[in-house]
Parts: sequence; C-alpha cells; structure tokens
Amino acid sequence: MTVAVSPSRAGAALEVIGLSVAFGGVVALADVSLSVAPASITGLVGPNGAGKTTAFGVISGLVHPDAGRVVLDGVDVTGAPAHMRARRGLGRTFQHPQVFSGLSVRDHVILGDRVRHHRARMWSDAFLAGGLRRQPADERERVDDLLGLLGISELASRPVDGLPLGTSRLVEIARALATAPSVLLLDEPFSGLSGAETDAVVSALRRAVGERGVALLLVEHDVPTVLALSSTVHVLDFGRLIASGTPAEIRDDARVRAAYLGDALV
Amino acid sequence: MLQFIIAGLVFGSLYAIAASGLVVTYLSAGILNFSFGATAFFVARLYYDLHTTHRMAIIPAVILSVGLAAPAIGLVLHLALFRYLRLATPVVKIVATVGVAVALPATANLIFGQRPILLAPGIAPRPLRVFRVFHVPVTMDQITVYICVVLMLAVGTVVLRHTDIGLRVRAMVDSPAMTSLSGTSPDRVAAAVWMASTFLAGLIGVVSAPIVGLDSNSFTLLMIAAFAAVIAARLRSLPVAVVVGVAMGIAGSVLQYILPPSSSFTQAVIPSIPFAVTTVFLLWNVARRGRGDDLRANGGVLDRAISYQREHASAPLGWGWAVPVVVVIGPLALVLSGFWVGLVTTGVALAIVFLSYTLLIGEGGMVWLCQATFAGVGALGAAQLATAHGWPLPLAILGAALIAAPMGIVLGLLSIRLGDVHLALVTLTFGLLMENLAFTRQTFTRLGSGVALARPSFAHSDRALAYVGLATFIVLALVIVNVRRSTTGLVLGAVRTSADAARTMGVSVVTSKVLTAGLAAFVAAVGGSFLALSAGAALPSQYSSLIGLVWLAVLVGTGIRSTVGALLAGLTFTLVPGFVQVYLPTWFAPVPTLLFGLGAIVVAKYPEGSLAMQIRQARSIAARLRPHAPVEEAPRPEMVVT
Repeated sequence: MTVAVSPSRAGAALEVIGLSVAFGGVVALADVSLSVAPASITGLVGPNGAGKTTAFGVISGLVHPDAGRVVLDGVDVTGAPAHMRARRGLGRTFQHPQVFSGLSVRDHVILGDRVRHHRARMWSDAFLAGGLRRQPADERERVDDLLGLLGISELASRPVDGLPLGTSRLVEIARALATAPSVLLLDEPFSGLSGAETDAVVSALRRAVGERGVALLLVEHDVPTVLALSSTVHVLDFGRLIASGTPAEIRDDARVRAAYLGDALV
Repeated sequence: MLQFIIAGLVFGSLYAIAASGLVVTYLSAGILNFSFGATAFFVARLYYDLHTTHRMAIIPAVILSVGLAAPAIGLVLHLALFRYLRLATPVVKIVATVGVAVALPATANLIFGQRPILLAPGIAPRPLRVFRVFHVPVTMDQITVYICVVLMLAVGTVVLRHTDIGLRVRAMVDSPAMTSLSGTSPDRVAAAVWMASTFLAGLIGVVSAPIVGLDSNSFTLLMIAAFAAVIAARLRSLPVAVVVGVAMGIAGSVLQYILPPSSSFTQAVIPSIPFAVTTVFLLWNVARRGRGDDLRANGGVLDRAISYQREHASAPLGWGWAVPVVVVIGPLALVLSGFWVGLVTTGVALAIVFLSYTLLIGEGGMVWLCQATFAGVGALGAAQLATAHGWPLPLAILGAALIAAPMGIVLGLLSIRLGDVHLALVTLTFGLLMENLAFTRQTFTRLGSGVALARPSFAHSDRALAYVGLATFIVLALVIVNVRRSTTGLVLGAVRTSADAARTMGVSVVTSKVLTAGLAAFVAAVGGSFLALSAGAALPSQYSSLIGLVWLAVLVGTGIRSTVGALLAGLTFTLVPGFVQVYLPTWFAPVPTLLFGLGAIVVAKYPEGSLAMQIRQARSIAARLRPHAPVEEAPRPEMVVT
C-alpha cells in the first residue's frame, strides 16, 4: 500500500482530483474533481449513466482509475486497497444493498463495530476461545444504539436473508455507521424506503454528521431530498462534472437544468 | 512426426468436442457440467451393451444410445436437477454436477455390470479398416472422430449463429426472465441445450471408447483435460475452445515424439499438458484482466427478483447436536469388532479430512477440489518423515501438516482473484498436477506398496487408533466451531457473501481467505496422516483428486457446514460399503456410490444437507406433538424482492 500526505484543499475530508476512468472505449469519468468538507453532507447527482457509481467505485478502491488521485483526510490513498481505505475511515453503501447472507441484522452491526475497534485475528480466534468470549458491554451499547437509531432493534436477531429492500438498506447503513467512518459514501440510500424509514435514515445521518463529524457524499435520484439535505452539490453528466455549488446555485444553473433537472424544480 | 500429429489430432478433436459441450451449457445455463465425462461413459457403456453384448447392429445401437438415450439423460437431468440450479450459488452448482458425475457411472455399473472392459468397439465397422494418408496409417475409428468434430463445428456454428434457436440460446445467457417476457420458454430452451450437450457427451463416449478405453475415470480425465480449453476460452468462446482443444492434442502427441519414450519424465509430463495449459491460460487471463472472473450467467435483476433463493436457508447446525452424536458414535469402536472397527477407524480419519472441506467450503465459501491432494501430502509426508527419517509419529504428522499448510497458503494467494468456477478448476488442476508430477515418484509409490507408516505403541490396535482419531477430530472440530462463533466467523460469513462489501468495511479478503486455505490444508494433511495410519501405509493412489470428488459428494449430502455432518459422512463412506459387501449380493456394490452421488444432487434442493434437514424436520414434528408449544417450521425459502 502506498499512502502519502498530499497537499489537498485545506480541511477537506475527501478530495478527488482529476479522476478519469474508461471501460474499453466508453468514458465513465473524465477529469472529475470534487471535495467533501468534514461534518457536512455533499450531494452527487446526475442522470443514469453519468458515472456516479463508478466514482464511488474509484473512491472506495473497488475500481482502478486510469488517472487522478483520491485524498482522504489529507492522505493520498489512490494506491491503497479498498480495505485499507475503509480502515482509514472511508465507509460506503451500495446501490443494491450488499448484506451478508446467513448473518443476523445484529451480526452486521457487530462486525462493523469490531472491524473498527477490535480487528479479527484468525489464530487467536481459533485457538484462544475467541468464540466463547463474552461481548464487551461498550460494544453492546454501541450496537444497540445504532440499531435503535435506525429503527431496526426488533429485527436484531433475524437473519438478513429475505428482508425487504428498504430494511436491507437500513441494515447496510447501520453496518457502515458502525465502522465509525470519517467519510461515508451513500449510494441511493433512500431508494425503496417508506416515508417513516426515510425519516429514520435522515435522522441517523444528521446525527452522524452532527455528533460524530462524519462527512457524507450522497448519490441519490430524489433530487429535492438531496438539495434539501446537502450543503454542496456536484452534478455529473456523461462522466464530466458540469456544475458544483450550493443547492440554490445548482437549481439556477442552466447547464444542470438542460442536462438533468428540466423545469420541474425551477 | 506426421504420424504423431495425426494421432494428436484425434485427442485434440475429442478435447474440442468436449470443450464445446461444456462451453455451450455454461453459456446458456451458467453451469460448468462436471458430469460431462460421466455421461459420456454411461452412453458408451450402453452402446457397448447393445452392440457387443446384445449383438445389435451398429446403426440402430448408435441411434438408441447416442440419438435417443443421451438426449433423454439430458432432459431428465434438466427436469430433475439443472433447472433448479440456474440461480443457485456456484458451490451448489458445482457440487450438484459432481453428484451426477459420481452417480451416473455407479448407475451404469448397476445396470450393465461391473466387469472391466478391455476392448471397446467404436462406431466403425469391424474388422477395422486402415487407410494411408501421406504414408501414415489412419484407422476408421480415428477418421470417425475427425468427421464428428467437423460436423459438430459446422452444425454448431450454423445453429448458434444463423437460426432462431441459436438466437434464443444466446438470449438465455443474459436473462431467462427477459427471454420469457419475449415469448420464448426459457425452460424449453434450457432443456434443448442440455439434450444437445448430453448428445455431444454420448457421441464422445461412443467414438472415443476404442481410443481411451471404456472406463469412467478415463472419460472424467478426458473431460478435465478439456477444461483447459474451456479456461483458455474464458468459459465463453466456442472457437477458441475448439482451437485450443485441437492444439493441445497435437502438442501432447508431438511431445511424445520429441521426448524419450521410456523416461519417467515423459510419463509424468505428457498427462500433465492439459493442466499446464490450464495454469498458463489462467495466469494469462489474470495478468491481462486483473482477475479471472466467471461469466455472470446467473440472469439479470429480474431473474433474481422472481426466484426463490433457497441457498440462503443454509446454516450450520447448533453445537448442541454434537454431544449426543459423539456419545452414540463413541462406543461404536467398543461394541463392534474386527473388520467393523477397522472401518470405523478409517471413517474417523476420513472425517478429519472432511473437516477441511467444512472449513474451506462451508465457512470460507471457497470451492477447492484438491483437499484429497493435501490429505495425500499429509499421508506421504508423515510416512516419509516417520519411516525414512525416523521422526517420532506425532512430530511427523505435525511436520507433514506444516508442509501442507504453506502449500495451501501459496495456492490461496495465487488463486485469490479467481471466480468460483475458475477456482474449482484451478484447484482440481493443481491436484491432478500433484498426482502426475509428485505422487508418481518412486520415493512415494515404492513399486505400488506405498510408504509404510507404523502405528505408535499407544494406538496399535484399530480400536485404540479409532479413539485417538476421534479425539483429534473433536479438537479440530472445536477449533472450527470456535472460528465460526468468533469475529473471524463473521468475517468469513461476510467474505463468503460479498467480498466487495467486506472490503469496503475494512476486512482484508486476502488475509481471511489465505489463512483459511492454510488452516484447511493443515487439517486435511492431519486427516491424511490418520488415513495412512489406518491403512498401515501411505498409498498415493488413495489420494487422487477424483476420489476427492466422491468425498465431497458424500460430505455435501450430509452437510457441508456441519462438523457433526463431517463425522457422520466419514463413517457413512466406510460403513455403508462395508455393510453392502458383507450382507448384500455383489451386484449391490455400486449402490453406496450411487447413493453418495444422489446425496450431493439433493443439495440442489436442500443446501444445508440431509442431516440438518432431517433434524429440523424432527424438531418441527416434536414441536407439533407438544401441546401448546410454538410450532417451529422447517425453514422455507423466502421471496427476495429487489
């Protein structure tokens, strides 16, 4: 892994500089640069195929960029594998929730918490009664707190297999928050959620931002919600960043209206 | 030289036909059919029975066996098994076809008898006509193979590229659900593809029997060799599969011409060519693309949304079941005597090997097909260290296991970026390479007697050895249960389901998979040492990868995630054939193998295995009988709405 302290925009929790990715002849991202301030919510919007999910893939380390850098809390992590970025405080959720079959809802949150606070060591777990150890009280408290925050305490002991989409999304968000990230990438977190579930997620996210200083980068098709939640919004179109600014600036941007918003939100 | 090229063309053509059949079914059904060779054997055996035993003329015998029976086998397999597998996990797909590969030859032996057939006729009339091409003799059997490959290529290309049926088959690759919405029955298309594939298998069986011999292992090895061409074709390109198949056959033959014929090096290298080709193309694919992904032939989002996800019900049994099982099995060695105690001893040793599958496939979700090889490394290593170098036995067993563990770690590292199907193939290839290049060395074979391994004084009798084995099994099972219940168990569960999601939450997929591989190789080697102790010698032929496939079939039928299941599977593997041998007529001999194969097939419907299924159903019945008690339902597949 190569990490190096990088001269980045002062105080940015996450900075993406000149990212370019092409799959064969198709350009998914072309010289995209954006930044996310600490303890803030930043929106990333654009039509289907604009490159939002590819951007998340590159930032989280699952997709290798052809050019560009990813800087996390001032450290260049472009060459770092995904799990090392996560250990440095980068969390993410997926457009199609990736929950772990066979594990309970509670197990997901416990795993997230332990990855952050108690890294697994196979040899000690295998030979030193790792499976018989009691769960520490502080861990139980953190896990219960997160389950309660997202309104899924009653499902805690249930295996995630067969959970409705919305609930799976809540589990995934709880798991991501359990890793205590400094930057959290959320890929369409409100898709498939009921009104009450959306409220629970919004409340949990606001609390994470307010109390823990988490920086959120939010991809979402529900543009009014993004504009309402975010302090800064970036707009992608055909792999290019066509606008960045406050929600009001984005609403008024002619290029954004032409490419994405249309007149509905004007 | 020309003579060798023409001879090589025969094998090359056989590889090409087999590779084509494998690629077509993988493309259309998402299943790499490990039972292709077994189907070829079954049809060839049927043809032999019709033509040689019952004196039927060649043409009606070919029509009945290849034209009717082979497609009928494909249809039956599709209706009974394959149509349920499309959205199953790769583990279930592989294991179910391995089950068919185990069951079909046993069925053939049951129906047609078990006597070995030394000379099988092909479809060319006897006496065999011999032609001269550029002064090289070419038999009518060889010409038949050439004609078959040319016909297959011509018909296959026309059908797949230029007909409506071909279009429907290609549409199936992306999404059966979407194909269905466009008015085509995906079930019928899949049935037709399976019938075509088993037709090809049957054709290979009949035309190749006089060349490779009418023996199920020969056909399975032919199929595994064809896997090299399938890998070269990245599981999807029919022309590449054909070209590489033909080239491989010619290369093998030309090498035979170049290398000294009587050298042991030649005898080891020639059969290894397909496996070397597999390795080269895998490395090439990984180097070029960064990883060896399987084709995503599991259908689209719509397919998943409307399908039952049965495999999700898979879960290990509670530890509470272990105690009564061990209490029941424990006294077995005391109650039984003589022959039966020996079987218990071997069964317990095998159960230790099975624990390595439990760890690797059950917990780690890694489809490795070479655990028999690691058992062989343990057996041969322990025997060498104890007998040739005079090490004390416990140290020799530990030393052999410590040799196997790094081998597992290195293989794990080399294969870390492979998809499940590629992983299964590369580990099977590794096992076969080890068999051909290492296990055949005179140091280990000792003219067929193997390396002797004397039992220690404290476990000299079968009974004492059974208890030492059982104690070792319990210790290793506790380690696995401990891993499962710990943070590492959660990590393995995460990696097993979604490696990407695990990575992005800070889990090192490489570390967890590689350490699991190392620990599993260690456990397999310990089990192998006990198998050698049970037999009194380490015989390399007892640790072949093909035997390993039968072991896997037995274990998954019982329960791949259950340590108790591993113990029961080990004992089943030895006691059931023992029972048949002692109490039933000799023609019953193939029945245990048939049952083992069927057990693996059942995993398509009950991924948790028969043991867990039976226990859960027993619990459910007990709960119903209890007044006012809440009824515990057996887990039902749930609709996944995405």
